[in-house]
Amino acid sequence: MPRWFARTPSVDPRPSRAKLRVGIPRVLNAWSTHQFWCGLFGELGIERLNLVFSGDTSEEQGRQYGKGRGTVDCCYPVKCVTGHYGELVFGQRQKLDMVFSPMIYTLPSFMSGHVARTLTCPRVMAAPENIKAGFLKERDVFAENGIKYVTPFVSLDEPLLVPKQLFEGGLREALPGLTMEEMQRAVDEGYKALREFNERARKKSREVLEWCARENRGCLLVLARPYHMDPGIGHEIEVDLQAYGYPILWAQYFPIDDDLMQWAFGPDIAAGHIKSPFDIKDVWPSSYSSNTNEILWGAKAAARIPWIACVIRLASYECGMDQPTYTPVQQIVERSGTLFFSFQELDSTKPAGSVKIRVETITHYLEKYATDIIRKKKAASPPGCPLLPSAWETERPPLVRQLAPRA
Amino acid sequence: MATVTTEHYRTYSPRPFTRAERDTTTIVFGGLHWRIERMIQAVLIGGGYRAEVLPVATKEDLLAGRELADIGQCCPTSFTTGNLVNFLKKKSDEIGHEALNKNYVYLTAGSCGACRFGQYHQSYELALRNAGLGAFRMFLMAQDNMDQKAIGDGLDLNLPMTLGLLWAIFCTDLVLDLEYQVRPFEVVPGQTDAVVRESIDYLFDVFKNRPEQGPYKALASHLMGSYYTKALREVHRKFSTIEVDRLRVKPKVKITGEFYLQTVEGEPNYNIHRWLEQEGAQVYPAGISVWMDYLLRLGLQRFEDYAGIEKGARLKLGLGRTVQAIYRGVYRRLRGALGNLPHELPNQFVLRRLAAPYFHSRLDGGEGDMLVGKSLWAHQQKKAHMICELSPYSCMPNTMSVGAMSAVTGKYPDLLYAPLEIKGDAEVHALSRCQMILTEAKKRAQREMDEVLAKTGLALDEVRAYLDTHPKMKRATYRVPHTDAAGVAADLVLHVAKRMGK
Repeated sequence: MPRWFARTPSVDPRPSRAKLRVGIPRVLNAWSTHQFWCGLFGELGIERLNLVFSGDTSEEQGRQYGKGRGTVDCCYPVKCVTGHYGELVFGQRQKLDMVFSPMIYTLPSFMSGHVARTLTCPRVMAAPENIKAGFLKERDVFAENGIKYVTPFVSLDEPLLVPKQLFEGGLREALPGLTMEEMQRAVDEGYKALREFNERARKKSREVLEWCARENRGCLLVLARPYHMDPGIGHEIEVDLQAYGYPILWAQYFPIDDDLMQWAFGPDIAAGHIKSPFDIKDVWPSSYSSNTNEILWGAKAAARIPWIACVIRLASYECGMDQPTYTPVQQIVERSGTLFFSFQELDSTKPAGSVKIRVETITHYLEKYATDIIRKKKAASPPGCPLLPSAWETERPPLVRQLAPRA
Repeated sequence: MATVTTEHYRTYSPRPFTRAERDTTTIVFGGLHWRIERMIQAVLIGGGYRAEVLPVATKEDLLAGRELADIGQCCPTSFTTGNLVNFLKKKSDEIGHEALNKNYVYLTAGSCGACRFGQYHQSYELALRNAGLGAFRMFLMAQDNMDQKAIGDGLDLNLPMTLGLLWAIFCTDLVLDLEYQVRPFEVVPGQTDAVVRESIDYLFDVFKNRPEQGPYKALASHLMGSYYTKALREVHRKFSTIEVDRLRVKPKVKITGEFYLQTVEGEPNYNIHRWLEQEGAQVYPAGISVWMDYLLRLGLQRFEDYAGIEKGARLKLGLGRTVQAIYRGVYRRLRGALGNLPHELPNQFVLRRLAAPYFHSRLDGGEGDMLVGKSLWAHQQKKAHMICELSPYSCMPNTMSVGAMSAVTGKYPDLLYAPLEIKGDAEVHALSRCQMILTEAKKRAQREMDEVLAKTGLALDEVRAYLDTHPKMKRATYRVPHTDAAGVAADLVLHVAKRMGK
């Protein structure tokens, strides 16, 4: 009855969000979840050009925008967030209406369901609370600049919870007229965008691996946290290596097709070491941290894929999450005969000289040993690799067949 | 060049501790303070286990821990790893490698939410291996997971055993709190320590000789019986023999921070509790019960979030809240047996509300928002003059809470906050930093006392004379109500003034 007499508005009463400008710090786990936020805000009516990510991390950025606002001494990837906040607040020609900095608690990892949890690092998840303190300590810098600071706590690995967390975590107030239904749709769109992006990246990685298998060429796998893709944090070490002609893969976007996984991890499953290809309890029983889990899993994958001739480990200075993993990751990789090099204690300044020397060392080793490594790893692998169209297994000498693990 | 092997790397996986080994195997544990360690030992022995407590960690342990495991460990892990290794080495010299591996197991808490403390199995193992003790059995028990299959059935954490451990924590926390309230004011130096030793010895027997009961009876007797309240009344009687002079003006210092550092007493935290007392402060220690109350709140928040989304979440939340209410009720009841002298458990929801503008309540690891909430609670409700926050070097979650505190101190500039980074080998630096804030706290305590005397119109001698005529008020077990002052002396003057009708 009330609907019969209700007045139907001739236009959508919700204020348009097309002109709203939203800034997102390009930091930490935004490096692996950016597509989710792009999809979400796109669905919420924010113009693509009005969704502004801060620039890559740089010392200059920290000096210009973050100086004097640091609140605590910790790892560089968290410390540098101050500069990103500052850039979004002070460094925009066209002012932003909102700085959106989610506190990501869990990540939507491909390992979810196979590991204990998919938590983010305690420093990473709490970074927005920590960094904002530097902008609120003396006075509210956001309010002074007419910017709404929105920092929802969000468990991205619990999709049922996400719309509520975002809606109640500040977006309801920041986006007038926003309804829960609309939020739900936007979240769905975000997940869809993220999934599609990840699938594209994994497909590309598979193509690279297949090329390596076809050509019998070695490639390198980078084991690092997502934010090491930031040139200011990872210092583009993998780019320097790529310049020597070696294909580079990142563990985050490693192909996870069923045929490849069953081939690589089937013997471990059959032997009862693990329950599924993404189970890492055989090497890392306390699988709480999502990025740590993916690094450990990446090491396992590298140990089993013959054409990954070398693993490059990147870790930032004072990274507490990486610290307990140094030995097992190295052990996993080196036991398989794969080359392992690690760049630890990375900080704000790129140690260009030492990186150059190490890159030359790595490429020297690759030139000298890659073919041999691939040959030995192939010999130790189970038959029927799906990366290879031809059945090279039949060409293997009898002794090699004997060495191969029995399922 | 490494050679290819068909055997991939597998993690350390110790042989389970079985029921058949219970009579011959000693459970080694440690990392807390001596009172609670003794109580846990009593419960384990009472339950038919052999139990041995690790000695308090030292600087030598810290160095051993740093040397034997991967670089960059957080300070508590370096201490506990080195402590374990040095203990085992000594034990191995006494009884031999084989007997050690066969007859000893080490049990420790593992998980701490997202914190890497829960991921240190490999570091412990690496240290053991580097020390030539690779076959020793060590188990990490997750705090948030009662499924401990990997340990084996040797340790049966049944309901009576769990209740015993829980009640041991309650009782020890209460005695600890009382001890720290009394010692700074004792008239006869050393008397409090003697009474505490006597009380803990007495409680050791109480817990060791707990009546053997089935789960239901054990639950009923723990919740409603008088076994523990009687024991605590006896402890109360022992404390009543101590004479105190509460008119000594002392700043009250609330200890907060990372769990290990705020709990342990010794070189891992520069003996900060004793040092503060020597410097003229009264310490308000951090209780394990408060930490567990926080963990309960943290766990229940999940159901709060899922209310309306997941079927049964509200019911689970209701049940959980009931359990939490019972938990707090038990603490209150036991506190009552000690004459309501120890501090009450702070309300977790009050702490959450206070911390909310500065730190999100769902961010876990370390003390999370409770660290911020406790500081504000102590400041606003005049529970202490100063907050001494113990943050281990390289502690990941704690640095975050401390960072958020900078916004709190910006808003409340009169909150005396001393965040100390504890490295284990930089004592002078940490203590001198603490001393700077403590000097201000002392001034504040004296100022508070002067103001109270002026407000009541009483002279110190008058108050003293009144106390002399009321010797009961000079007993350690006399309860001075907490009113409008943070300091005990000022509270006492206000109390005396009220009694005198001023």
